[in-house]
Order: sequence, then C-alpha cells, then structure tokens
Amino acid sequence: MTDTIAPPAVAPVTEPPRRNRRSYRVGRGSRGWMITRTALLLVGAVLTLFPFYAMVVLSFKPTGPVTFPDSLLPWPFSTEAYDQVIGAKSVLRWMWNTVVYSVVSVVGVLLFASMAGYAFAKKRFPGKEAMFWSFLAMLMVPYHVTMIPTFIIISELGGVDTYWGMIVPTLANAQAVFLMRQFIASLPDSLFEAARLDGCSEWRVYVSIVLPLIKPILATLGVFVFLWHWNDFLWPLIVGQSLDMRTLTTGIASLQQENVALNMLLAGSVVAFVPIFMAYLIGQRHFQEGVSTTGIKG
Amino acid sequence: MVALPATRRRRVRRPSAREAGTALLFVLPFLLLFAIFRFGPATAGVVLGFTDYTIGGETGWVGLENFHRLVDDPTFWSALRVTVVFTVLSVPLSMLASLGMALLTRRAFRGAKLFRSVFFLPVVTSLVLAGVIFIWVFSDGGPWSRAMGALGLPAQSWLADSVLVIPALVLVSVWSRFGYGMLILLARLQDVPAELEEAALTDGASAWQRFRYVTLPQLRPALFFVAVIETTVAVQVFDMIYVMTGGGPVRASYSLVYLLYDQGFKYFDLGYASAIGVALFVMTIVVALIQRLTLGREE
Repeated sequence: MTDTIAPPAVAPVTEPPRRNRRSYRVGRGSRGWMITRTALLLVGAVLTLFPFYAMVVLSFKPTGPVTFPDSLLPWPFSTEAYDQVIGAKSVLRWMWNTVVYSVVSVVGVLLFASMAGYAFAKKRFPGKEAMFWSFLAMLMVPYHVTMIPTFIIISELGGVDTYWGMIVPTLANAQAVFLMRQFIASLPDSLFEAARLDGCSEWRVYVSIVLPLIKPILATLGVFVFLWHWNDFLWPLIVGQSLDMRTLTTGIASLQQENVALNMLLAGSVVAFVPIFMAYLIGQRHFQEGVSTTGIKG
Repeated sequence: MVALPATRRRRVRRPSAREAGTALLFVLPFLLLFAIFRFGPATAGVVLGFTDYTIGGETGWVGLENFHRLVDDPTFWSALRVTVVFTVLSVPLSMLASLGMALLTRRAFRGAKLFRSVFFLPVVTSLVLAGVIFIWVFSDGGPWSRAMGALGLPAQSWLADSVLVIPALVLVSVWSRFGYGMLILLARLQDVPAELEEAALTDGASAWQRFRYVTLPQLRPALFFVAVIETTVAVQVFDMIYVMTGGGPVRASYSLVYLLYDQGFKYFDLGYASAIGVALFVMTIVVALIQRLTLGREE
C-alpha cells in the first residue's frame, strides 16, 4: 500500500454532457470504424478476462496434470480442490485475518482522516501549515524506506503476529487526510456555523453535521482503503509471520512456495477473489468515479 | 489542491485558544499515528542506512560502509538493472494500452460502460492471484507458449528463461495496470471541448491529425500524471515477482524491492536494507525530476 500524490483536478467519467451531444458526428465515424472498434474492444476484453476464466475453470478440476487447451473445458468437474484448501489448509483462517485487517483499517482510516480533514479544512490552529506540508513531503518518501523502521517499532512493541501490529501503522494514511480536507473545504461554512450557534459541541457538529455530509467521500475512500488492505502483500508478509496470522495474499503465496497443486492454489485464489469481485460489482461506481475524480491509486 | 491562503483570507480574527484547542484534538489521533509510523520511520529509514542495525544485536554507526558495500555488490547492480528494464518496458506499454482503450471506449455507445468495467477489473485484483494464474499461462505447453509457437516465436516457458522472464512480467503488469490509466485518461477526454474537434473536422483534418494536434495536447497533463503513478508502481515491483519467479531464474527477475526484502527480512540486516531503501528513494527523486523536465515541461 503506497500513498500517492493527488492529481490535477479531473472530471468524473460520465456520459458526455449535453453540450457535446450535437458533436457526435465527430466521433461516430463510418460503419467500418464502428466494426473495427467493436472488434478491437472484444479482443481486449477476451485477453483481459481469460486469466479470470482460467482461474475459475482450473480450480474446479480434479488434481492431476493440466493440459492446454483441453483443461479449459468445464469438465471433468470436481470440488476436490476446494475441499482440500478449505479443510486441510488454513484458508478460512486467512480469510478471517484479511477481513479483520481490511475492515478495522477502513473504519480507523475513515475516522481519523475525517477528523483531521475537518480540522484542516475548517479550523485554525497553530502549526497547521507546517503539519500539512510535512504530510505532503512524506508522500515523496517511498513506502519501503519507512517500512523497515516501522517494522522495528512494531517488533519492539511486541506487535509481530498480532492484528494491532498489522493494522495500526496503516492508519497513518496521509492521502486519506488530503482527500477529506479537499472535500470538506468545499462544503459551505454556514452549515457548521448554524449548528454551533445552536450550542452544539464540536464533537456533536462532527458527528451529526460533518459525517452525514461527507458520505460520498467516505464511500469512495472506504472502498479503496478496503481494496488496498485486501490486496496488500508486503506488510502482512513481514508482520504476520506465523501460519495463523497470514492473510489471503501471503497465505496463497506461501502455498505456492510449498508447491501445492495448481487446482488448490487456484481454489484459494477464487476464495480470495470472490469478495473483492462482489465489492466491485456492487460498488463499481465508487471504484471508477473514485479514480476519475480523485486519481486515487487503484 | 493547496487552498490554505483562501481560508485565511475569509476569517480575519485570530483563533481563540479554545477553538485552536478543539481543532488540535481533532487532529491529534492522526498526528500521533503519522509522527510514529510515517514521519519518524521516514527519518529513521535514512539514518538506519548509516548503521549496522540487526534485530536484537548491538547497533553501531558505520558511516558510508553500507553504501560502499552496495556499490560493490553485483546483486545490487543486477537488481537495479532488472528494475530499470522492467520499468522502461512496462510503463510505456501500459500507457499505450490505457490510451488505446480510453480512445476506443470514449464515446457513449451501447456496451461502452461494460468494456470499461471489464478493463478495470484486473486493477482491483491482487497481483498474488494474478501471479498464480499467470504462472500457468506462461508455463511450458500453456496458452502463451502455444500461442508463441503458432506465431513462430520462442515457445518455451517464458518464466524459466533468463531473457524472456522480464517481458513476461511486463505483460502481467500491463494487464494489471492499464485499466487505471484508461479511467484517468477517459476523465480528461470528457473535458476536451467538442468545439475544438469540430473545428478541426471542419478544417478537413484527418482522424490522425485530430488526434495528434487536438486530443493529444489536451491529454498531456493526464498522461504526465499516469506516467508518474505507473513509474512509482513499476519501480516498486515485488508481489508478482515473489509469487511468479522468486526472482529467478538465477536473479534474472530479482528487483530492488526484492533485494531490500531479502536483506531486511530474510537476513535481518536492516542497516543494509535501509541503504537499499535510500537508493530507491534517490532513484524515485531522479526519475520524478526527469519526468517533470520532459513530459511535464509545459506545466
């Protein structure tokens, strides 16, 4: 998981706005072009989807030699690999670890980043600019430079092979604060002033005014933080060393190194892929608009 | 995105101590996390490069010794070469695919959204999972070697060949990344004023001319942004190499981050690993400067 710089402002991917409508003739072109375009896109889609197809089909094969192209047929069909990988291997345990790592991190990142983002956007306090610029400067430092001292700190504190050791360092996500600050800054001050005049405490303003207003950015950011953690590899590899503390990614990589049969590896991969795929199907808009509007790294 | 002066202008009064206090309380949790797990480690990461820190052992100041060792280490140079070759191949290829697919799915037609969603799917897929399936794709007698054989190209397992292993990894990286650049470019394409292209069309510009002289200049900032992000990703390549080749055959795909991981977390030579981290940092800065001076020069 790496922080990235916020991009130049870009508009969301939407269907072309109305003002473009009359200009369709520019892009529409000839019938020949439309056929070429469809053909190229279909080739692209087949090449993109083929690995997913192979992953699913080969995971439902009985253990044995895999041949090409015969093995790409859906039969012989067997759930043997799933039985083994779920029964004999620790895949369910890894799934649980991944869920804890992802979900707790999402909640933590969203909470701390929205609190800090609110203060940076709407409050004045000493040291504000110095803090902000130090956040920005740190985005330049590659994650791998900070990873080693972070590991030393966690290991000195006894956090190796624990959930908190895995989760807590990832909560220092400066990119999340930037996005929150940017979003909250665009909200009119009057919204907060009114509540304050009514005698609401600052915490109350944050909980009942700020949080409901920033739902869109919470959803977008939440989706990406979840994705980063679900797919994260290097940090869980370092800090979750025992068999029981692996995540799905590090667990499957370890199965691969034990030379487990291909169908089992792929069954594990499917198990790891299904939740993110479901999330993608449901929250597609958040994924795609998140990239388009914020440039957040996928 | 840096809009601090605006806030200052709007409110003239100084913050009261109470207001500043509550604001600090809101920042405090993040600030602590940031200081302990980001700011501190970033500084320490550089400092550690000048020590011989090992877990549980005595730590001493060794000056430039780690860096001398790095310069004399053929593994470092080979890892640097692997990283550079991988980056130089994968970034342009992936951007080319992004640009192509962005242009193809640019207009609203039936299925355009579906294609975009399909092309973005690999971006949300873990490189570990991708790696597992691509091991099979590139295996001897697998789909890739058959396809290459049919085209009269080298038909052996690309992952087992010390020259072809990098192109194979580049292909996986392009597959996994192009959807991201595509979305960034699409967002920018929607903003290109239609009048510009219409004017060019009225002037009788060919499709290529319209692309070259109207669309491409408009895309420049977005292309620069994608180039920066993709370079960062490529320079730090690790996950898929770890899974697919383990750095092999014979270090032919052993990247800088892999070297850092091995030195730090297999041999626990954290001082030396930090020196490699510093080298990576320097490399990032140099690449960023080069990109700013070339691609980003108009900004």
